[in-house]
Amino acid sequence: MSEKELQEFLNVCNVFKAYGEGDSRQEVLRGMDFTVKKGEFCVLLGPSGSGKSTLLNIIGGIDSADDGYISIAGDKLRDMDEKALTRYRRKHLGYVFQLYNLIPNLNVKENIEVGAYLSDDPLDIDELLNTLGLWEHRYKLPNQLSGGQQQRTSIGRAIVKNPDILLCDEPTGALDYNTSKEILKLIEDVNRKYGNTVIMVTHNNAIQDMADHTIKLRDGKVRKNIINEHRISAVELEW
Amino acid sequence: MRDPNNKRIFRDLKKDWKRYIVLFLLMSFMIGTASGMFVANGSMMQAIDESFGKYDVEDGRFELTEEATPELLASFPDDIEIYELFAKELTEGGDDTVTVRIYKMREEVDRTCVLQGRLPESDNEIAIDRMHADNQSIKIGDALAVGGREFTVVGLIALSDYSALFKKNSDAMFNAVEFDVAVVTDEAWENLDANIIYTYAYTFRNSIEGDAAIKERTDDLMEEIAVLCATGGYLSDKDSAEQLSSDIDEWTSFLEQIEEESNELQARGEELAARRAEVEAQAELIAAGDPDALLAASELAEDAQRLQDDIDALAAREDEINEVIEDLEALEPYEDDINELKDFVPSYASQAINFAKEDFGSDSAMMGVMVYVFIAVLAFVFAITTDTTIKNEAAIIGTLRATGYTKGEIIRYYMLTPVIITVISAVAGNILGYTIFKDAVVGMYYNSYSLVAYETVWNAKAFIISTVVPLILVSIINLIMIVRLMRLSPLRFLRRDLSTSKRKKAVRLPHWGFLSRFRIRVFLQNIGGYIVLFFGIAFVMLLLSFSVGLPEALDIYKDDMVNNMIAQNQYILKDYQDKDGNVITTSNSSAEVFSLETLVTTDGVRTGEEITVYGVADDSRYISFDTELGENEVMLSASYASKFLLSEGDTITLKEKLSDETYTFTVRGVYDYSGAMAVFMRNDRFNDLFDREPGSFTGYFCNEKITDIDADMIYTVIAREDILALSTQIEHSMGDYMDYVSFACLLIGIMVIYLLTKIIIEKNAGSISMVKVLGYGNGEINSIYVGLTTVMVFIFSVAAAFLGVRLVALLFRVIMYSMTGWFEIRVTYMSYIKIILIMLASYAVVAFFDMRRIKKVPLTDALKNVE
Repeated sequence: MSEKELQEFLNVCNVFKAYGEGDSRQEVLRGMDFTVKKGEFCVLLGPSGSGKSTLLNIIGGIDSADDGYISIAGDKLRDMDEKALTRYRRKHLGYVFQLYNLIPNLNVKENIEVGAYLSDDPLDIDELLNTLGLWEHRYKLPNQLSGGQQQRTSIGRAIVKNPDILLCDEPTGALDYNTSKEILKLIEDVNRKYGNTVIMVTHNNAIQDMADHTIKLRDGKVRKNIINEHRISAVELEW
Repeated sequence: MRDPNNKRIFRDLKKDWKRYIVLFLLMSFMIGTASGMFVANGSMMQAIDESFGKYDVEDGRFELTEEATPELLASFPDDIEIYELFAKELTEGGDDTVTVRIYKMREEVDRTCVLQGRLPESDNEIAIDRMHADNQSIKIGDALAVGGREFTVVGLIALSDYSALFKKNSDAMFNAVEFDVAVVTDEAWENLDANIIYTYAYTFRNSIEGDAAIKERTDDLMEEIAVLCATGGYLSDKDSAEQLSSDIDEWTSFLEQIEEESNELQARGEELAARRAEVEAQAELIAAGDPDALLAASELAEDAQRLQDDIDALAAREDEINEVIEDLEALEPYEDDINELKDFVPSYASQAINFAKEDFGSDSAMMGVMVYVFIAVLAFVFAITTDTTIKNEAAIIGTLRATGYTKGEIIRYYMLTPVIITVISAVAGNILGYTIFKDAVVGMYYNSYSLVAYETVWNAKAFIISTVVPLILVSIINLIMIVRLMRLSPLRFLRRDLSTSKRKKAVRLPHWGFLSRFRIRVFLQNIGGYIVLFFGIAFVMLLLSFSVGLPEALDIYKDDMVNNMIAQNQYILKDYQDKDGNVITTSNSSAEVFSLETLVTTDGVRTGEEITVYGVADDSRYISFDTELGENEVMLSASYASKFLLSEGDTITLKEKLSDETYTFTVRGVYDYSGAMAVFMRNDRFNDLFDREPGSFTGYFCNEKITDIDADMIYTVIAREDILALSTQIEHSMGDYMDYVSFACLLIGIMVIYLLTKIIIEKNAGSISMVKVLGYGNGEINSIYVGLTTVMVFIFSVAAAFLGVRLVALLFRVIMYSMTGWFEIRVTYMSYIKIILIMLASYAVVAFFDMRRIKKVPLTDALKNVE
């Protein structure tokens, strides 16, 4: 990978997106532009309706831009057909959702195996379970876990295939303060340990302090693009 | 690494075990029934097919009025082997209504299959038909009165030429209750006191390949035998026989004429002799030159010369006369061999031989249709189940898709459950099919027909129809449904937005009460489920209409038959004149003459169907129609018109059964009589049409017993029992079976409704939970969800009942097209009510479970899975 590709690993270029037609048409993204370096912890910050989740979904290849493009390591998503997009997600992306979306009748380990199955070179699951603090709970079903444990499982499922990019959509949105910090710490550790590029959507301003890069969004546009030279650890965050 | 999703399969099955057990039960039951039916059917078919060789079944048979002389038999075509199959008919068990046709032991043709016991060895032993024995509860070792003699039953048998006990080939239906066939030792047979029925079976010495070739040879053979019988073996060709017949007429009239002339000459000779005596007495007067005497002598001489000339002329024809006499004398040796062909039935047209096999064929076709309809219903149930599962797991699917799982992987996973259930059901169904269900169906067949022993054979067709096709059908329907959903983007799954149709505006509802509107909304939201529920109910209703409708329709039919009989008795005479040429009359005032002939159809829904042609008296009290009939106009019986869809103005062409002579009639109207496939015309026209002597007739209609006609002159009497043979037999062979079908319907109904309402409730668990959270009581929730379903089940049941009855009537019509006679399924309002009540009773059981299920929906459901 060239230096340019490393510097502009994720390139969001003049992306537009609207939903609906006629009177109900709503422009969600209105010319979004920014780049993210490889291995960077990037936070997309903005209030409800600012377009951050839509942008994340387009980056994740599960939604498409009306105009502009997104490229990952030089590959433009708009040039990919459905199969190529699936392959892209399979090989390069990990997803973490606010509501975990775990498979209820698979236990913790098996839920993580769901992610591992997709990779030719997955991380060691037992080691990961230890890293996630889930070793003790590995045979429990999701409904026997707390919210934090479920989210950790979901992170495990996302990172077990060692993706290039970890997309996190409000991963702490449904969690309490302490659990949220634990989860953020976990994502931070994963980012540092495995070097994945993390794109995290949040409306929590405090989280920007732990990121390398914060992009503030409002009304579908980038309002601020902040590089944080002195990121702090998640455990130091307060809100 | 194996896909960890696979580990979910058995957990999914375990979690929803009730649903899958029901699906498994329904499917394995259906596959089992179908497989059992096809396997039994195929095994039985094979047994019958093999029986043709194994038991040396005839290629046909014919009946003569008297025993054929050896000379006549020797004259029969060389390509057939003839076997005596003489029979005697007697009453059985001291019951006048039961007839047993008894044969000698069969060694060469139509041999006997002993199903239980053994063949008779001594003169007081008898082996009777197994099915008839079952019907009459006769067992081995029982004493059985036959005619006036008592026999011991030593064997229960199936005669290979009587797989269905048709007394006559023209009977509408076999009757194994009142008709039996049996074998006794030759000596016992000789001692039976009854008229002999001179039946001969034949087989072709060299087998003929192809149905058309067999038919062609058979048609020729029938004609040859008829001609040989009529000419005592002198000729076999119809044209030559007709020529001979006209020659004989010519020769006879020639000899009569010669005899007349010779008599006349003799009279003239005698007259001349008398005159000569007178002339000789007047010799003196002649010598005296008396002019009168001279004139008389001269006239005498002239007349004598004329007579001599005529005698010479006659003598000159001597050669001609001798030739004719020789020709006639040449026929004399054949006179003793003259016989009459009464009946001719090739084996391919024999109902006794083929009816069971043909019935198996139609059973199999009908079962095939039933299986497909039911499997399609089940496939849709599966599809709706999978649809609900996918919708419930939308977020997980979205996550998996977002994570990189391909559509193919997801589709494969959701296809696994229906495929696994179908495969397990197919395996279980086939095991049941080859054991319990096959035995049940075989039992039913043995309950209906006099079948030879069988062996269970592997049936590839059964496997394809009962297993492969359902598997493919379930897979395809599910696949289409899953693929359709999987076209949606992962985002739509993550958002749980799986509506495949374009978002419509909410339907505006009238200003009804809130709960009513709520119910309508629930209905609109679950419209797919309710549509499948309707098809499920419609399927069960179809079966119910059959199982409830048939017995009742049979009762109606029987009442109709009895109430609408032309006459309590129809006396068919051997001839309308006695030996002395006197017309046979009766003093019974209610008797009325009629004529009868049997023709067969040549077109329409079934060719070769026997149609009874009645010639009726002008002012008949028994068949009264006021319509004036033109020369070629006839009235049709209601059953004929109904089966062949005929009405006034239509033209029908019938032909004689044993010749090519055809008759074309115009339908003048329909006479309200359903007892037979018949046409009616005036008796005079009948006699004219069929070349009968004016004033002749076949017999008498009479509501009372006729006692003053010599029993020897009566060929047969058609009474109430004969008319009811069709219904009696259908009732017997399907009676218990129908109760079983009704019960199965009840179970299937419960299971189908259970499955579908379960799905509807599960789909709405979130809403149910939410209204619970809001403070609605279980009663109120039941009134919304269970109440709605109750109303829908009621509406569907009523609609499906009417639909089911019509469909069954249609199906039955098609079945009857392959059978002789006519019988329509008609369902009374009571039956409608009965089948609707059975369906509602099924639903009541399900509603109980539904209410329990609603009660169990946890309040927390409302808070789960909501972003």
